[in-house]
Amino acid sequence: MASRLISINSFAQTVTKMSCLRSPYRLAASASQRNFCCLAVGIAVLLSGCGPGPKAEFSLRDATGELIPAAQKVVKKTLDEKFGTPQNLVAWQRFPVNYGGVQGSVADVSKDGVTANFESDLPAIHKDAPLLWLSGPRAGAKTSVDSVATFDTTTKQLKWAGSAEPAPAAGDKFVIGYGGNLQTGRVVYMKNCMHCHGVAGDGAGPTAQYLNPLPRDYRLGLFKFTSTLTPEKPTRDDLTRVVQHGIPGTYMPSFRWLGDKETTAVVEYIRWLSMRGEFEKRIDDDLSNDYSAVAMEASAKKANEAYQSAMKTAKKEDRPEKPKTANQLTKAALDEFSKYEKDDLPGVINDTATLLAESWKKGEEADSLIVPTVARVTDNEASRERGKRLYLSDKGKCYTCHGVQGRGDGVATEDFWKKPGSDEYYSHRGLHDTWGRPLQPRNLTLGQYRGGRRPVDVFRRIYAGIKGTPMPGFGRTALKDEEIWDIVNYVMSLQFQSTPTKSIVTDHATASK
Amino acid sequence: MGRFWAVFFVASAVIAVGLCWVAPSHGLWFPGTLKGGFGAGVAHSSIGKRIDDLFYLVLVIVAVTYIGTHAVLGYVLWRGATIKAEEKVLFSHGSHSLEVIWTIVPSGILLYIALYQMDVWAAYRFKEFSPKKAEAVAEVTARQFEWRIRYPARGKTLMPTPQPDDVYTVNELHVPTGRPVSISLKTEDVQHAFFVPELRIKQDAVPGLTIPVWFDVDEPRQYEMVCAELCGWGHYKMKARLIAVSDEDFGAWKDKAALEQFDDGFKKPAE
Amino acid sequence: MSTLHPTLDHAGHDDSHGHGHGHHELTFIQKYVFSTDHKIIGIQFLVTTLLMLMVGGALALGVRWQLARPWEYMPIAGDLTFGRDGGQISPEYYTMLFTMHATVMIFLVIIPVLAGAFGNFLIPLMIGADDMAFPTLNMLSYWFMWPAILFFAFALGLGPEWLTHVRGGMDAGSAQGWTSYPLLSALKQAAPGSEMSQTWWLMAVTFVGVSSMMGSVNYMTTIINMRAPGMTLFRMPLTIWAMFITAILQAFALPVLTAAGFMLVADRVLGTCFFIPAGIVVNNAAPTIGGGQTLLWQHLFWFYSHPAVYIMLLPAMGMVSDMLSCMSRKPIFGYKPMVYSMAAIAGLGFIVWGHHMFISGMNPALGMTFMVSTMMIALPSAIKTFNWIGTIWGGRLQFNAVMLNCVAFVSMFIIGGLSGIFMAAVPVDIYIHDTYFIVAHFHYVLFGSTLFGVFAGIQFWFPKMWGRLMNDSVAKVHFVLSFIGFNVTFFPMHLLGVAGMPRRYADPYHFEYLSHLLPLNQVMTAAAFLMGFAQFLLLGNFVFSIFMGEKCGRNPWNANGLEWTAPSPPGHGNFDVLPVVYHGPYEYSSPISGDKDFLMQTEYIPLAQRGVESGH
Repeated sequence: MASRLISINSFAQTVTKMSCLRSPYRLAASASQRNFCCLAVGIAVLLSGCGPGPKAEFSLRDATGELIPAAQKVVKKTLDEKFGTPQNLVAWQRFPVNYGGVQGSVADVSKDGVTANFESDLPAIHKDAPLLWLSGPRAGAKTSVDSVATFDTTTKQLKWAGSAEPAPAAGDKFVIGYGGNLQTGRVVYMKNCMHCHGVAGDGAGPTAQYLNPLPRDYRLGLFKFTSTLTPEKPTRDDLTRVVQHGIPGTYMPSFRWLGDKETTAVVEYIRWLSMRGEFEKRIDDDLSNDYSAVAMEASAKKANEAYQSAMKTAKKEDRPEKPKTANQLTKAALDEFSKYEKDDLPGVINDTATLLAESWKKGEEADSLIVPTVARVTDNEASRERGKRLYLSDKGKCYTCHGVQGRGDGVATEDFWKKPGSDEYYSHRGLHDTWGRPLQPRNLTLGQYRGGRRPVDVFRRIYAGIKGTPMPGFGRTALKDEEIWDIVNYVMSLQFQSTPTKSIVTDHATASK
Repeated sequence: MGRFWAVFFVASAVIAVGLCWVAPSHGLWFPGTLKGGFGAGVAHSSIGKRIDDLFYLVLVIVAVTYIGTHAVLGYVLWRGATIKAEEKVLFSHGSHSLEVIWTIVPSGILLYIALYQMDVWAAYRFKEFSPKKAEAVAEVTARQFEWRIRYPARGKTLMPTPQPDDVYTVNELHVPTGRPVSISLKTEDVQHAFFVPELRIKQDAVPGLTIPVWFDVDEPRQYEMVCAELCGWGHYKMKARLIAVSDEDFGAWKDKAALEQFDDGFKKPAE
Repeated sequence: MSTLHPTLDHAGHDDSHGHGHGHHELTFIQKYVFSTDHKIIGIQFLVTTLLMLMVGGALALGVRWQLARPWEYMPIAGDLTFGRDGGQISPEYYTMLFTMHATVMIFLVIIPVLAGAFGNFLIPLMIGADDMAFPTLNMLSYWFMWPAILFFAFALGLGPEWLTHVRGGMDAGSAQGWTSYPLLSALKQAAPGSEMSQTWWLMAVTFVGVSSMMGSVNYMTTIINMRAPGMTLFRMPLTIWAMFITAILQAFALPVLTAAGFMLVADRVLGTCFFIPAGIVVNNAAPTIGGGQTLLWQHLFWFYSHPAVYIMLLPAMGMVSDMLSCMSRKPIFGYKPMVYSMAAIAGLGFIVWGHHMFISGMNPALGMTFMVSTMMIALPSAIKTFNWIGTIWGGRLQFNAVMLNCVAFVSMFIIGGLSGIFMAAVPVDIYIHDTYFIVAHFHYVLFGSTLFGVFAGIQFWFPKMWGRLMNDSVAKVHFVLSFIGFNVTFFPMHLLGVAGMPRRYADPYHFEYLSHLLPLNQVMTAAAFLMGFAQFLLLGNFVFSIFMGEKCGRNPWNANGLEWTAPSPPGHGNFDVLPVVYHGPYEYSSPISGDKDFLMQTEYIPLAQRGVESGH
């Protein structure tokens, strides 16, 4: 399977282009003023003694930092190769990301230049727009449009002068402005999202530490509010919805007026960042079994302790063998690793990419979408009553977290919980999400719907749960769709009940028996 | 050298006046629809138009004063720079009549502005618009860092507390044009301010208070809506729009929004 | 009038090392660090505030940088704090920048440079006293600035985290605007800068208040009790009148701010709810309990801070009056109207605070009241302006840097004053409130007026401080660069305001109706940098002239004031002999002074020759 890596490095051009697009006025006035400003800026830079400044970096996961140095290096190298740096993004074509660009085909090659046909209108093509050849003698090569290119909007033909060897032939396909989407996405992301969600989408931008709940860390590939089934990735629409509507009750504001192009682009960029993060995580998971420096140190320490205690009691003849030190273990691992790197790693990378690509593709498929099989049950007293009973029943068990009155103060919030996959307890009472952060069950009486207030949104929350949180999905297994609708009706009425009726409390007493 | 400085100060004033003169044609003036060749935007609410008129009145008075004082300043600087060595300096401790003149005249002008503008303020706050005359179309709740807006269902009136059939939007305030409407302005957290530049309407949203803001919009289109009171790090992020439409369109929009909001996602299988 | 010697205070506190006059045994520390000499304290204030001016300026340049190149690499800040993010600052850092810029400029530059530096240095010299009434209190007023500076540094996130508990360094610096409106400032969860740094900020403001209060009490006492024989109230230079009125303003307004500050600290630390309404949820913290009102803070704050605007302006007005008169070689035009208008400004200054709150939701009828009083406060300002122009009228103008800065003061004050009329018109204020129009207005008043007045004052009284003149050519270059830089930076802000650009936006350009303003902002930023770097000329000239400046005698400007009869620099006790005052301070080119075009206040002219002056 041919995987193609395309480097996208016309970041600066895109920025200029974007800012010019926004206001025609700016173009007219800027030239001399920009020079004037540059002068002052130059003086300032001179005086401050700083060069062009630091470059933004995709930070690595903590788990990557725990690997043995050689493995760390390989992970970093792989990531740089497949995804690039913030200054120089790489479009790995294995992933289902719409990197942007318009496909065209060569119609005619003459000595005046090249004429190419397009299906649709071209977006404003700036000078030296990158060209990626998909077929013909130049397949895979990157060139650029000559600066004297002209586009005829009626015939949808692009003409440009001159062409280097080997000359393209008629019928060759190419993509113009390849990666534009990702670049626009990055520009939008760095302006609007980065200071909370971090350059790498790790949810650790400079502002993040002051927020509650913390901004989403995309690198687990988990997004809370989706329209898809429990194990599936979110759709583009889900992410777009969150970007446009915000998440009430959190610091995620609504970016309603970002612009369609920008919103689409930033959603692609977030998906790409998430894929990048999850790719790193999966590689880490694979490596950390055998090549984690931290784990090795721990196991060496443990073995040494066992050895020491054995030495105290053991007789001379059956003394245990001295265990390997951490250094020895690391050295052994190092030897093993270079072999692993050569033989297994390419396969692992390939499999991981396939797996990820498949999972994101699957999220977009119609099968993954939760569509109620029945229309919303009429929202009446009877339905709400049924909903209430389910809410308080052992089938739904909603009350354990959300509380008998729906105030988000169920008994589960008073308990200490174990960390997943270990015997350790969290230091704080109450529930935690997959990122290990404390989490409050929603207070349902506030009328605050983080995942959206449409009935179908609440339905989906109950049907598939909230990804990355203890909120489980009830659809298909525990509850029928009609029952979920009853709960939806009940839950959505809680906001309008000033005080819980006495019957709820007595009902609870009977229900919990 | 003294003459140079006299010219220097006069030139600075001339440039300042000139800059104001050319500013409208470079987009550096009121936002709003441009009127004719003059680049100043025209306000899109009746109160905004009166605010603009008042602004221009003050501007004329201020411009005359500014040009006058700087002309005199330039003249006295020039005279002071060109005074001859043998010429005697004017030895004067002041002039009672001049003091009286320049006390009475400015105070007259200032009082005139003060009284004149009262009418605009009163019209806005007490007379022409009032909660009784303007229909409450929405409750606008500012929060860090967005606007959450609640409308009554079509045909119903806005209640102070949420109702099951209310319609919600975020960062877009839909209002009908052509008649005075009011919004209930609230904040969920810190202080914000509701500001629609093209309508010239601004009102702080104060924690703990619900403040009615009334206005009318003359042209159906989208207007940008911003926050004008520091509300934290994301102050600049509160980008919203006021979407003014005709009465029929407003009702139609509300129906559509309600339909969308009460969407249960169920699709009838094709028969 | 009798003159009190400050021996009471000395006797009370400094018994350990006996002294009277001629402090030969003073150690270096006593003489230059913990000095009780008003001149040393004045110079200490001056040097401190000039350094703070550079700090505040640097913060302002940070603000300007962001406005010219939003979300691009910012030098220094980008390297120090945001290296991982490519040097682009965070939005809360921007809010910190403008908050601390205003804070430093107002509390550590403008207020202390006027009252602290010039007030201290000039009051005893100009009224013919040998020191302040309470020298030790005076010393304390300077040294109380330092805890304030330290706490402001903590508020900026510069302290060690174990001590300050400011989580996140400069990124979490105080960021509520200098007005510190609750709830943003009252709830710790409301913003990164609302955490501990805001508490430090409030404590620092309290210390500045304590310092100012000590100064005020001292100035009032000194001016009332320690004038030289013959120095009647209406023979006092306008500088002294201005300082006197400022001291009164401060003494009456400051307690309100201090009380409000303590209430806010109590809200933050002790859980009271003076300013916090019930049921507010911020950042998913527990809902607030309590029934306070945020508008209460605005009333209390502006009850201080509006008079404070005049605290930041009146002394400069007084100083400029003195300098204009001297450099025009002509008596001040309308001395008494000048005094009365200052008094009127001070009086009216207490009843106009509501004009900061026209759109805050207070009773609209109250808005009308405040609007009328606000309109009326423009009147004394106008009278003063006309009198300044009248002073220059027909004079023999000395176009040195002092004069130029003074004329710039007048010119800029006209713009600042006139733009205020737009804001005083409530309906217009609905629109321009919290836009750049306001920013333009107060920079024209505080920078354009006060700071140019201060530049002039530094050059005018520098010879008295060090016995040497500052270099006039360098000062002129500094003036021209500052003047051009200032106007290019701030004049377009009026237009930005009219175009509807709100204040305190880290990135206004993503709004379509503001997107075309970027180029203009870039020009303004370039000018701001020009202006910023021009201040190095001032500093350089200042330091250079202390050691290498042209030496001068007692009265290099041929001025009339008492301070010019003392040696340059004056020794301890200021005057060789107790001065006796015979004239007002502005008798330039008087027909009775003979060949000279000035008449020192101490110069006795036999009665036969006096016909002009009204005797005392």
